Amino acid sequence: MDSRGVLPYIGWAMESPQLPRAYAVRSERERLLEAMVKTAAAKGYEATTVADVVEFAGVSPEAFDEMFESKEACFLEAYDAVFDVLVAHVTAAFEAAAGEPWPEQIAAGLGALVGLLAMEADIARMAMVEVTAAGDDARERYRAMLTRFTPFLEQGRTYSGQGGELPADTARFAIGGATSMIFDEVRAGRGPELKRILPDLVFAVLMPYLGPEAAEDEMRRVTREG
Amino acid sequence: MGKQAATNVQAGAEGTGSIRAVEALPHSPPLELVNSPKREKILEGMLEAVGAEGYDSTSVRTVLDRTGLYRQAFYDNFADKDGCYLAALEMGIVRFEALVARAAASQETWRGKLRAGLGALLDELDAEPDFGRGVIVGVHAAGPEALARRAEALKRAADFIDLARDDAEESEEPPQIAPEGIVAGIHAIVHSRLSTGATDGFRALLPEFMYFAVLPYFGADAASAEMQAARA
Repeated sequence: MDSRGVLPYIGWAMESPQLPRAYAVRSERERLLEAMVKTAAAKGYEATTVADVVEFAGVSPEAFDEMFESKEACFLEAYDAVFDVLVAHVTAAFEAAAGEPWPEQIAAGLGALVGLLAMEADIARMAMVEVTAAGDDARERYRAMLTRFTPFLEQGRTYSGQGGELPADTARFAIGGATSMIFDEVRAGRGPELKRILPDLVFAVLMPYLGPEAAEDEMRRVTREG
Repeated sequence: MGKQAATNVQAGAEGTGSIRAVEALPHSPPLELVNSPKREKILEGMLEAVGAEGYDSTSVRTVLDRTGLYRQAFYDNFADKDGCYLAALEMGIVRFEALVARAAASQETWRGKLRAGLGALLDELDAEPDFGRGVIVGVHAAGPEALARRAEALKRAADFIDLARDDAEESEEPPQIAPEGIVAGIHAIVHSRLSTGATDGFRALLPEFMYFAVLPYFGADAASAEMQAARA
C-alpha cells in the first residue's frame, strides 16, 4: 500500500506548500488517525476493527486505548482532521478568486474540492461515504461540517439580487445536491475521475441561487476551460 | 422490474403553455411484498424502532417488544435484523410511493401532481416521523443493498420530476443533471430535519420544495409564483 500516508500530506498541504511530503517524525496519535482513514477507506467503517488500525499504524493496542475511547472516537477525530483540510483547501481557492464574479468563485472552490478528492481517494471515501455509515454522531458531524461551506454559498443571495426572496433552505438544497453527486461517484469507485462531474456540480450549486440560465452559462464556461 | 415501466411514461405534450397530464409515478414495487399481517407488523415495528433508536441500537428484541410478537414470528419471516430491515425499507418505500401516486392521481398537470404528491409525503412525515426516519435516515447504516434500494427510489423520483422537461420550452431545457439535483437537494433538507429531530412542520416546506423543482424547468418567475401559490 502507498506508504506516503494521508495525514503527512495533509500537514504539508496546510502548513508549507513548498516542502515536499515530508515524512516528519510522527506521533503515535497521528499514525493511528492516518491508519483509521486508510483502513476505513479500504475496508469500510463497519468492517474496520481497532486491531486493524493498530496493526496498520504499528502502534500498541494499549497506546490506542490510552488515546481513544473507542473506534468511533478515533474515527471522529480523524474525520475532523480530514475535513479541516478540505475546508481549508476550498476556502483558499474561493478566496484566491476573490476578484472574480461569485459564480466563478464557486466554480473555483468546487474545482479545488473535486481536485483534492480525486487525488486523495482515501480522504474522499472516508469524508464523503464511510462517514454516513459510521453512526449517528459521525453523521451529525458530517452535517455540521458541510454547513461550513454555507457562507460561500450564501454570498449568492447578494449576487443574485433577490436574496430575500430565495427559500430559507437554499444553501442546504445546493449542498445536498452536490454532495449526493459526489457520494454516488466515490461510492461507485469513480473518485479519481471526479473532475468529470465538475460542470454538474457547478450547475447544482448555482442553479438554486441564480436560476437555470446563469447556472448553465457558468457550467459551459467550466466545461470549455476544462 | 421497473426499468421498462419507467420509460413508458412518455405521453405526448399538449399545446404551448399547457402542462400535460402525467399518469402517475413511473412505477412502484409490487405491493404483494407485504402480505401477512404479522409480517407487516414486524416491518413497521422495525422502521419505527430504527427511527426512534437508530439502526445500531435496534435489535430483534426491540422490534419484538414494540410489536408484542414472539421470536418465532420474527424468525418465520426473516433470517436476521439486516434481512428484516431490508424488507422493511422496501415496504416503507412502497408506502411512500403509493401515497404520492394516489395524491398525484387527483391532479391533471405536472405541477399539480408534484404539489399534491410532495404535500402527501410531507403530511406523512409530520404524522409518522419515526417511520420516516427509519426509512430515510436508517438506510445509511444498513449496508450496500439498502443503499442500492434508496438509489433506485431516488432515481424514480427524479424520473417523475423530469417529466417537466416535456413542458419546458426547448431553448430553456435544463441539463440532464437537473432532476437528480432537485431530488438530492430536497432529500437533504428532509434528511437533515429528521436527523436533528426538527420534525414538526414538514408541510411548511412545500412552498420552497415547489420553488426548487419548478425553477430549473420554468425559470425564476414561474418558481416564485409557484412558491406563492403553494403558500396559499
